[in-house]
Amino acid sequence: MNMLHTFSGSGGGGGGAHGGDSGDLELKERLIATVKKEVKQLMEEAVTKKYIHEESSSVTSLCGAVEACLSHGLRRRALGLFKTSSTTALIQKIARTCPEADYINRCLLEIEMVNEVQTVSGKRSSSSSDSIIKPKLLNKGSSNSVTTINTMSSTTSGCATSVVKYLWIRLALYERRLSKIIEYLVNNANNFYDRDALVADPDYGSILSSLLVGPCALEFTRAKTPDHYWSDPHADELVQRHRISSGNRTPPIVHRPIINFKRSLHTSSEDTSSGSYKASSPASVAKDYVESLHQNSKTTLLYGKNNVLVLPKDVNEPMPGYLSLHQTVQFLTIKWTPNQLMNGYQEADGTDKSFYWAYALNINVDEIVYVHCHQNRGEDTGGTIILVGQDGVQQPPIHFPEGGHMQAFLSCLETGLLPHGQLDPPLWSQRGIEKMFPWPKSVRRRILPSVMESADETPIDYVFRVVSKSQHEEFLATHPILELGRTSPRRKHLSSCSTTGSSDCSSKSLSMEQSGGDSPLIQASQTASIELVCSTMRRQIISRAFYGWLAYCRHLSTVRTHLSGLVNGRITPDLTADEQGLTKEKWAELQVDGVVTSDMEVFRLVYFGGVQHEIRKEVWPYLLGHYSFGSTPEEREKYDDTCKHYYETTMSEWLAVEAIVRQREKEKNAKAVAKLTAEKSRRAGKSVCRQHEMDNEEVENDVFEDISDMSDPGEDFDEETPMEKDEEDVSSISKVGKPKNGSTTDSGNVEEDIEPVEHTDLTDTTNENEQNEPDDDTNEVLMLEQSEHIVVELENIDEMEPLQLQENCFADTDNEAGLTPEHTGNILLLSVKSSPSTSSYETVGNEFTDINDLATPMNIVAESETMNFGAVIEDTEQEEDPSSQVTKFHSADDLRRAIDEFNIDILDEQTRDAETMPTHAVIITEAASFDALQCDDELTEEMSRKTSLISPMNEDITVVASLDALQEPKSACVSPASSNGGVYSSELLESFGLNLHRIEKDVQRCDRNYWYFANENLDKLRNVISTYVWEHLDIGYMQGMCDLVAPLLVIFDDESLCYSCFCKLMERMIENFPNGGAMDMHFANMRSLIQILDSEMYDLMDSNGDYTHFYFCYRWFLLDFKRELVYDDVFATWEVIWAAKQVASSHFVLFLALALLETYRDIILSNSMDFTDVIKFFNEMAERHDARSILQLSRSLVLQLQTIIENK
Amino acid sequence: MAKTYDYLFKLLLIGDSGVGKTCILFRFSEDAFNTTFISTIGIDFKIRTIELDGKKIKLQIWDTAGQERFRTITTAYYRGAMGIMLVYDITQEKSFENIKNWIRNIEENASADVEKMLLGNKCELNDKRQVSRERGEQLAVEYGIKFMETSAKASINVEEAFLTLASDIKAKMEKRLEANNPPKGGHQLKFAETRKTETWLSKCNLL
Repeated sequence: MNMLHTFSGSGGGGGGAHGGDSGDLELKERLIATVKKEVKQLMEEAVTKKYIHEESSSVTSLCGAVEACLSHGLRRRALGLFKTSSTTALIQKIARTCPEADYINRCLLEIEMVNEVQTVSGKRSSSSSDSIIKPKLLNKGSSNSVTTINTMSSTTSGCATSVVKYLWIRLALYERRLSKIIEYLVNNANNFYDRDALVADPDYGSILSSLLVGPCALEFTRAKTPDHYWSDPHADELVQRHRISSGNRTPPIVHRPIINFKRSLHTSSEDTSSGSYKASSPASVAKDYVESLHQNSKTTLLYGKNNVLVLPKDVNEPMPGYLSLHQTVQFLTIKWTPNQLMNGYQEADGTDKSFYWAYALNINVDEIVYVHCHQNRGEDTGGTIILVGQDGVQQPPIHFPEGGHMQAFLSCLETGLLPHGQLDPPLWSQRGIEKMFPWPKSVRRRILPSVMESADETPIDYVFRVVSKSQHEEFLATHPILELGRTSPRRKHLSSCSTTGSSDCSSKSLSMEQSGGDSPLIQASQTASIELVCSTMRRQIISRAFYGWLAYCRHLSTVRTHLSGLVNGRITPDLTADEQGLTKEKWAELQVDGVVTSDMEVFRLVYFGGVQHEIRKEVWPYLLGHYSFGSTPEEREKYDDTCKHYYETTMSEWLAVEAIVRQREKEKNAKAVAKLTAEKSRRAGKSVCRQHEMDNEEVENDVFEDISDMSDPGEDFDEETPMEKDEEDVSSISKVGKPKNGSTTDSGNVEEDIEPVEHTDLTDTTNENEQNEPDDDTNEVLMLEQSEHIVVELENIDEMEPLQLQENCFADTDNEAGLTPEHTGNILLLSVKSSPSTSSYETVGNEFTDINDLATPMNIVAESETMNFGAVIEDTEQEEDPSSQVTKFHSADDLRRAIDEFNIDILDEQTRDAETMPTHAVIITEAASFDALQCDDELTEEMSRKTSLISPMNEDITVVASLDALQEPKSACVSPASSNGGVYSSELLESFGLNLHRIEKDVQRCDRNYWYFANENLDKLRNVISTYVWEHLDIGYMQGMCDLVAPLLVIFDDESLCYSCFCKLMERMIENFPNGGAMDMHFANMRSLIQILDSEMYDLMDSNGDYTHFYFCYRWFLLDFKRELVYDDVFATWEVIWAAKQVASSHFVLFLALALLETYRDIILSNSMDFTDVIKFFNEMAERHDARSILQLSRSLVLQLQTIIENK
Repeated sequence: MAKTYDYLFKLLLIGDSGVGKTCILFRFSEDAFNTTFISTIGIDFKIRTIELDGKKIKLQIWDTAGQERFRTITTAYYRGAMGIMLVYDITQEKSFENIKNWIRNIEENASADVEKMLLGNKCELNDKRQVSRERGEQLAVEYGIKFMETSAKASINVEEAFLTLASDIKAKMEKRLEANNPPKGGHQLKFAETRKTETWLSKCNLL
């Protein structure tokens, strides 16, 4: 063999052949590798699943790989193999010499034969059914004996066989003969293969045959056993299987509305399950039985009632069950089935309920002679019926629930007995008829009123005789008078019963003719009967048609009233062939001088064709309503600017809060860690005493840590600090603050209420004032220096970028803080004192340092603000009109408005802070510094006096202080809930902190696999969401918002635009979130839609554990399908949803959801999925859908509903 | 018609958002870890079949959205659950504090005898730890449930946790079956047992 190989390598002649040979080698290598891979896959599957489904995708791929190997280098021409599947021809060729091949060949022929038979005979049935046609190859469980081939035709005859790929390889694999056949081929390769063929290759050939030994040892199954159910195939697998099994995929069939007209009028309304179970679940006896209990083509359901109690013979307690009355051609049957059997059939564990079958009743009415009815006196519990047979044996008592069910049953029974049987005495009691019956008075009185009429007397027991046909004759003979009068009441009865007991009329008449002709009397009655039957038939046909029409009309009107709101009434024309949605060119055309006016055209184009990706950034703001159609470029630009301003302002607000939140968190974490370490050290086994100390320390640390830190240096450098300050940067406020703190703590009483603090404050102030008098002198000089310093730095301000606003704010306040304490230490003292809780101290202290760090690079940047401030305030001081002053300020410096507002906010806050101190409001950083300047109302006057004293020396401080004084009354009127912030109460801080935390968590894990969010842009995402949440704190952050922002951000790549559009988007979406009501509405609408557009699916959902609550659509609606599709498809889908609102339906998402369901309806139906299956399926299918076809389908679904509604 | 499992247990994972519920589930069902997991919206579940004392047990583990806003939706799934994993993050004090809220939630919505277990996840991040193991243990003792510190990332205790919970459920179930059906005869018992199991299971399957 080896020689042969080398021969083929060199003997091919020429370099070209040699080159081809190396290429061949590569190809062979690849082919073998594929087979290896597939074998591995299949074996793995076998390990996990025990059985392999014959239609498993891995089987198909393996067969494909084997086929490829076998086709390689096959000498087709030489062997005369021209068939489409040359390997099939090959197998036929070797069948003569190879027994395995022969066997497989015979199998093949058998199947082909069956196919042919079926294409002739079974075509009609197969084409008319909607269900998927699965190729049935071999009945599993068949042994290797040839006899199975003979039985095969019968097993496969049930369904049509479609062309299956690699049929013979499959067969050989299932029959475990594939490796043998390959081995044979390898050994006889010379006859069939080129020399350089894979099979002819000594190495590869044997590798191939040995590779297949494993798969040939596997167990294959094609039966959909419960095993198959519980193996939980992956969604991909299901889709694959579906593709394989249904040769060409059946397009999702959308059904015409189906009229749910209940023909069995007497079916109790409580028995809702009597609809139709159309679920195509595996055939199980139990299920078939239950199905047989419902109306079907063979039997008419005359009566059905659930929860009827029956006491079977060897059971102690009555069991509830389903009682039904069926009419077939020959018999009238009463059936009773225990609830356990009714409910349990879908559980796949029905086998254990088999003992219930013993209890089930199946009684032929022909065998019943007497019907005993018992009704309890007094508190009526419905009534009991005992059926007594011809042999005198009683059937178990049937106990009906309350509410006239027994009467209904009897009346149905009587109807069923007609026309050649009846209850004796007749149930139907009309006054006129009553007289004609020659019953003894007592009997009549006893029976009639008790059954049908609400008589005064309480019901009692009575007995009916069931008069069947033969008995009926006797009956007539014994009561000749009756005969004359009988027809008229009977007719009356029938017409009133209209639809019940109808379809059997013809059959009854047949049986009547059969036994007719015994006596002239009977003959006469029979002609009457036939007449009667004919007239009844006529009536019934008419009434049926009428009821059908009526039901259809009602149904349609329901559709219209409930669903017309879901779609727009007018149908927008589809795109013409040459249009491709909104392209760049089209968009340019639509713009006239930058103005887009033809909104409907834009919407139409987008709805049917989407937007070209390049112009999405331009178009989306229109679609979302950020820009209005008809706006000029200038207007848009202006609007954008406004939005930007707003966005930045808002952002600066929450960023400030975030800083505090961060700080608090840091402390909290530190505390938690401290607690942890404390715990650990405690565990380390220290003495109780020590522990106690530790605890104390711990507490102290928690609360006083910062303060002690601060106050220590403060005390030391009380005098020196201001001196140092001058030299230093202004940023070292914290140091300045410290001495004050120190002195405050010295004077004590910090944790008191405001009242006492004020007192001390006052005294302190005066004291300090006096004390500091000399200091102030020196400070004055320093101050002047510093002012210059500031002025110099001021010049940079105009170069500041707007995005740095937030920092500016910090810097701003920082500076003020920096200035003020230096010159008026006493005032700062006041502020510190006025905060009663130590925890706020902490925060304040920390914030100082924090902000200093933050602001260092641009320390004095915003100082101009202070200056302006000062100037303006000085002016207004005389006017004593704070509000006008503020406004003026605004107009004075438009550019810096954001900062101004921020400043004012802060002022508000402080004043609020001062007021709300006892409620533990946290003094925010800026407030801390400002606090130095302002105090409680009572203090203000005092302060201004003081500051006015200082003012000649230090203008700045005077100004700011007086501003505070002026702010005071104003801020008192400002609502704390004002959008500008108001107070940062601890609740607000807490809630925003919590939101930030959540946002952070979700942002960090938002689509990190998508390039845009892989490394950068996460901050942008976070900013947009945080801004939204800050503006809507009442709503807060909810999971899912992140997903909604992300695609917008990807398109716009601009925070403020993204924010604005997100707000627009959220107007609709917010209702889907837990607090809104839109989600339930969506589910309800889905229910109605699917009922009308695909009732088969609805039936499945309803019967299979009822998941018509549609919870599995939750994520779809919450995120507008964002998680179901890949990014590019999300873009395409979203714009269609937005455009659809104007063009076709404002509930387009419903149709998208429907389209998703319809796309996989065959898979869902054929696997008869329950809720968990569906959830699993769609979760696994996420981001694998074909968005294009789904969009197309949803558009056509909209159109379909529009036509249904319009078609009047 | 061999079934591939003897019991079907429905388990539920709850806990604050971001504590690592999905990662735990992913670790258990696929034995892998993924840092790029996105927040769970709505619900999802994974399946794994395990074997305990020769019985094949199919675990259907439901993963819920952590944010409390979505509790109204997730509580709908409490009903059928036979076991609940309460998960917190040892590096997040808050998530631990919230465990008692989750417990209350369970008491309100789940069946009374549902088997519970407390998991402190992310235990590989010991340097960022905020909740000591002892506190976790203490809380678990308080509620009379089992406790484990797990790490989905480092694959610590995840498998063990689920196996423990599953075997507890199994033990409880079998015990109850015996209590309900005092043994009369060998055959009788067996019959009753299987029958009882089935009905109970079917109840649990109804969602």
